[in-house]
Amino acid sequence: MNKLQQAIAMLHEVDSEAGKSSARSRIHPAARLFVCVLFILLTVSFHKYNMMGLLGMGLYLLITGIWEELSFFKGLKRIRYILLLIALLGMANLFFDRNVILRLGSMNITGGMISMTTLFIKGMFTVYGAYFLLMETGIEGICAALGSFGIPKGGVTVVLLTYRYLILLLKEVQRLLQAYALRAPGQKGIHVRTWGSFVGLLLLRTMERGRDVYDSMLLRGYCGECFWQEAGNRQISMGLSGIYAAAWTLVLITLRVFPVFQIAGSLLG
Amino acid sequence: MAEIEVSHLTFSYDGNRNVLSDMSFRIGEGETVGLIGANGTGKSTLLKLLVGLLSGHQGSILADGLEVNKKSLETVRRKIGYVFQDSDSQLFLSTVYEDVAFGPRNYGYSKEEVEKRVMRALKQVHMEAYKDRQIYRLSGGQKKLVSIATILSMEPEILLFDEPSIALDPRNRRQLIHILKEMKGVKLIATHDLDLVLDTCQRTLLIAGGRIICDGNTRDILMDEKLLWDNGLELPLSLNDRSEYKKYKS
Amino acid sequence: MHMADALIAPAVAGTMYLCSGAAAGYSVKKVRQLAEPEQIPVMGVMGAFVFASQMINFTIPGTGSSGHLCGGMLLSAILGPEAGFLTMIGVLLIQSLLFADGGVLALGANVWNMAFYGCFLGGGLIWKWLMKKGMSRKKIAAASIMGCVLTLQLGAFSVTLETFFSGITQLPFWVFLAAMQPIHLAIGLVEGVITAAVLVFIYEARPEMLWGCGMNDSGAGKMSRKKTAAVLALSALIIGGAVSLAASAHPDGLEWSMEKVAGTTELETTGKIYDRAAGVQEAVALLPDYQFRGKESAAGTSVSGILGAAVVTAVCILGCYTLKLFGKRKAADIKQEKGKKGHE
Repeated sequence: MNKLQQAIAMLHEVDSEAGKSSARSRIHPAARLFVCVLFILLTVSFHKYNMMGLLGMGLYLLITGIWEELSFFKGLKRIRYILLLIALLGMANLFFDRNVILRLGSMNITGGMISMTTLFIKGMFTVYGAYFLLMETGIEGICAALGSFGIPKGGVTVVLLTYRYLILLLKEVQRLLQAYALRAPGQKGIHVRTWGSFVGLLLLRTMERGRDVYDSMLLRGYCGECFWQEAGNRQISMGLSGIYAAAWTLVLITLRVFPVFQIAGSLLG
Repeated sequence: MAEIEVSHLTFSYDGNRNVLSDMSFRIGEGETVGLIGANGTGKSTLLKLLVGLLSGHQGSILADGLEVNKKSLETVRRKIGYVFQDSDSQLFLSTVYEDVAFGPRNYGYSKEEVEKRVMRALKQVHMEAYKDRQIYRLSGGQKKLVSIATILSMEPEILLFDEPSIALDPRNRRQLIHILKEMKGVKLIATHDLDLVLDTCQRTLLIAGGRIICDGNTRDILMDEKLLWDNGLELPLSLNDRSEYKKYKS
Repeated sequence: MHMADALIAPAVAGTMYLCSGAAAGYSVKKVRQLAEPEQIPVMGVMGAFVFASQMINFTIPGTGSSGHLCGGMLLSAILGPEAGFLTMIGVLLIQSLLFADGGVLALGANVWNMAFYGCFLGGGLIWKWLMKKGMSRKKIAAASIMGCVLTLQLGAFSVTLETFFSGITQLPFWVFLAAMQPIHLAIGLVEGVITAAVLVFIYEARPEMLWGCGMNDSGAGKMSRKKTAAVLALSALIIGGAVSLAASAHPDGLEWSMEKVAGTTELETTGKIYDRAAGVQEAVALLPDYQFRGKESAAGTSVSGILGAAVVTAVCILGCYTLKLFGKRKAADIKQEKGKKGHE
């Protein structure tokens, strides 16, 4: 499967999954966005040697994943995109930080090993955090959240339209590439001589479509401000959303500040 | 009372070559009119002028007795609905419900009223079952029906269609014809699908070179082989076996 | 060049959000002032276009590899720098959410590294400056290549700086820089040529679609170019100032040796609560900051830590499932009751 097919498949998956969960959710997307950003922020702020504390943050993902019936496996697929980057930078720690800070039997654990591991965990957690948010609310939900945080409506509209036309354009590019490949066997990409016209023609068509979309919006009473609205068939409870945000804030800060696992362990033992 | 009255309409994009020249016609209450002509004869341009998407014309366009110009645009657009040729230009929101609700919401109707209008419009095109469907999961035919519903939800008195049957399979096309027949109000259908015109319109305007060549009974025009041929068109397929054609001619 | 959330420290991410946010605020104001309202749908559709066209591989003659299109430069050459910038933000946001290309926290930095330089420097300065006295194929090609190379160099430099200030990696600054800049010089050249090819095609087909076409004699263009330069200089100052301020706020002062960088972010984000909690943490943490302290043996703490982790995790999972089960029963009960009432 090439990059393009993957992107199309991803869009389909997100749309069908997010559609399912956002319809039944009574929590305002803004509350979810807030909690997710807080989670990512606190996760990233852990010290590079504080692995146990960092692992505690995983409880948020665990509870969210189970509660919302989200797939941990599907999230795993997304991590490979950033894995390379993290590996590249994380590996450096192995070589530059050789202080032995722990001995397990005869094995020396260096600071570099631990900081590389925490980096991987951070990478995993942050990607999962964003993935779960997307699955809970969908892009429309995130846009609604951005709107309620005071992002100008024009900007939100641009994001929504980009998302709406993404799948159409991906499919159009796919058709163009297929038609090209059929007439140019053995070529891996687009030949240098056709670079300009290949994309240029698509661009001209895209601009025309943009104007058409604008016309059709005008004919239906668009005035620049009234574009997106709360989804009419969603039943959002403001009280519940407030409780959700407050409770998670408390839990996340507790997890960040106190070594919850150790405290629990020492209470038990 | 819904009607369109166009008199001495002339329009050009660049100031040199007239796309429409000296066009006059009137469409009255309850009429369904076919607008036929070969590619590039100005059908789409005429429709866009009627809803004020293009401006800078000479002559006058009256919708319900109201001159179409910058000042009257809002009122005119509430009266006239325009169904685009490319449904993807018309459907820019995520789900069917959201897209059909876009117009009524912009006009500030209450939540209940919006819902009522959306459901009524979807029912008219037999798409109620798809209200929560993602737009991109619809087939071409379904997209066309939904894009008609997005206009119907605003309950316009006059409906303009630009090539409504293009790229529809036979069954979808038949359903479209059925829906067009059920619809009330003034309809102007620009197309070169002459069979569709034969099925839905009592009256036809034939245009060529930006002028009205012929304005009259649909059957009279569509059976005049020479007239059609001279203006870049051919006999409707359903008349091709000539039996009905001969019957008519004799 | 997308930065991931894990690779950026909150203080750096916040600073970059402020910088990009300021540029976005300026752009929104500008777009509202200048553009016809039809810009907005065109921007949306163009965002999707940039996204999709970046999926196309262009064969680079003589090599086995392929290049992609540079979105920021292309968008600002068509929509203008401000509208192009806002469009790019949308593209980057969707990329980070849908494809985990970059992250939510790193979005501010990514917008700055990729969209800001591309749109304001590539489009706002270079493109505008070269097109001032009319357009030509050569000028378009020159602007595209210059713009892409310069913006990618600056972007790569910013990535290096942001990573360095985040202190996530132990990779020395100069090593990282020496790796990043040459790679991005090559990428910039290729992207520049591809972008040039597309823009030249548009110039020949529909020149009026290019931004700045026919504005050669307007005085306003000159003014706003100066303004753009001022904005650029000012934002460079702000970003430099803000980052070094964040850096020097650390009690270690200017001791920016690699091992200690990461400590900053920790104190920055949790402040006093952290100080108070630090005592508890250092006493019992498996791996407290920097190295092991306290009288307890490392092995002892880690056992209790792992035990704690296992118990807490198990409680959470069990709790979730029990609550869910309870919730479903309740829903089922309600349904049954409704059913009964219906029968009656």
